[in-house]
Amino acid sequence: MTAARFSTFELLLLQSRDQADSAALLLLAWVLTQQGPVGESERAHLVALTGAFRHGHELTPLLEIAASQDLGAIQLAAEVLQKELHGETSRAFLRLAVTLATEDAEPTLANHHILRFLADLLGVSPPEFAALYASQAGRPLSEPADPSRSDYWQRRERGSRERRRERQPDAEDPTEHAAEQESRASRREQRAEARRQAREAKAEAKRQRQAEKEEEKARQYAEREAERRRKQARREAERERQRAERETQRERRRDDRERKQEHRDDRSQRSRAGNEGASHVHQRANAPDPRIRSALVVLGLEPGASRGEIRKAYRRLAQAHHPDRFHREGEAIVASASRRFQRIRRAYDFLMKVS
Amino acid sequence: MRDLYQRLRLSVDADDTAVAAAIDRCEHTGLKADAATVLQAEWRRAEYDALHDTLSDIGRLRARLGLTHAPYWRAGPADDFSLPPGPPGSRFEEWMQRLNRAALAHNRAPRRRLAVAVLWLATLAGGIGLGMFL
Repeated sequence: MTAARFSTFELLLLQSRDQADSAALLLLAWVLTQQGPVGESERAHLVALTGAFRHGHELTPLLEIAASQDLGAIQLAAEVLQKELHGETSRAFLRLAVTLATEDAEPTLANHHILRFLADLLGVSPPEFAALYASQAGRPLSEPADPSRSDYWQRRERGSRERRRERQPDAEDPTEHAAEQESRASRREQRAEARRQAREAKAEAKRQRQAEKEEEKARQYAEREAERRRKQARREAERERQRAERETQRERRRDDRERKQEHRDDRSQRSRAGNEGASHVHQRANAPDPRIRSALVVLGLEPGASRGEIRKAYRRLAQAHHPDRFHREGEAIVASASRRFQRIRRAYDFLMKVS
Repeated sequence: MRDLYQRLRLSVDADDTAVAAAIDRCEHTGLKADAATVLQAEWRRAEYDALHDTLSDIGRLRARLGLTHAPYWRAGPADDFSLPPGPPGSRFEEWMQRLNRAALAHNRAPRRRLAVAVLWLATLAGGIGLGMFL
């Protein structure tokens, strides 16, 4: 049963005493991991901020999920929040998120976008969110900078150069500088490497999932095919049986007719001889012939209906099922109507001929 | 923020030579200068990629949640990072369905477990009997 596997976050939600709080906690952890590496102090801060939450489970797995950027879990959390938070509670959640992102420094660019996403998710309009942000962070909400433009980098590097120049008097040593830069570069490299690995792992998992799905599909197809073949075989057997039955019926009827013929011959002889066989003949004609009965059933009549009743039923049904009435509804419907009409017509003709 | 990779028709993990070739090919001077500044310096590219990843994730989330026309997105990165709205599958609904299925399977399970236990016991008894007989 591969379909019934639950992810870590889904299991956590099941254990949670308050799903909305668990979901909010995951999204706050997401904001926190985007703000920088999460150490003990950041963790303690998050715990302190969410002291009123009633989820009642461990924080560590949530932080791990947030660090791995598991989109499925984040989407589930977002949906839970969208369902559960309204009005003041959603504002309170946004205030917590803003606090987490702006406590130590400006929010990172990623967090700028995440905060805006959360505002859109909870249906908080831009002016309202800007006011909320300003009151919570103590400074107005700024537009996120755009690192796809070169002036962003120029401004930033000029700023860092100035800062360095300020620091230069007390730290003249250029080697320290180089070392610092090197370490920063190596850290960056590590981060890039980790991201690349995460991406590869995700792609691998996706491929695996796809392969599994395809396998499942092939299996289902094979099953369906087998089922179809079985059904067809059954249908054919049924048809065979019906044909055989019809054959036997026809034979029986032929026998009947022959017997009747004999009977009639007999009767003509007898009527030539006298008039005593009349009542017998009448009884014979009234005997329920299966063909007559089925024709009457087609017209919706009981056995023993009169000619007038048959004609009336035929007129009514022919009007109801005439193909011309259906020409607007498509070819298939017209075809089925014409089949019904012919059936009615044949039954009527047969009954008129017989009676 | 603009998606430089998309505008240069590059994949996100293109190597340096491919990036250089794409920048050479680019005819828009502004975009060309920006792309050269951002993508051809390694540390800038690393940072840009990090943000690019996050924004792509947010774009995917918004597409799945039907938030691609929300005000903050439309005003910002919507042009470059919006995906077509995904299939209208809700993660929550799907989770609920799986839960229901699991509950049904759980209700059905004891019978099967009992059958397995009986089979196991029968095998054991047969084995012991065979051992005593020999």
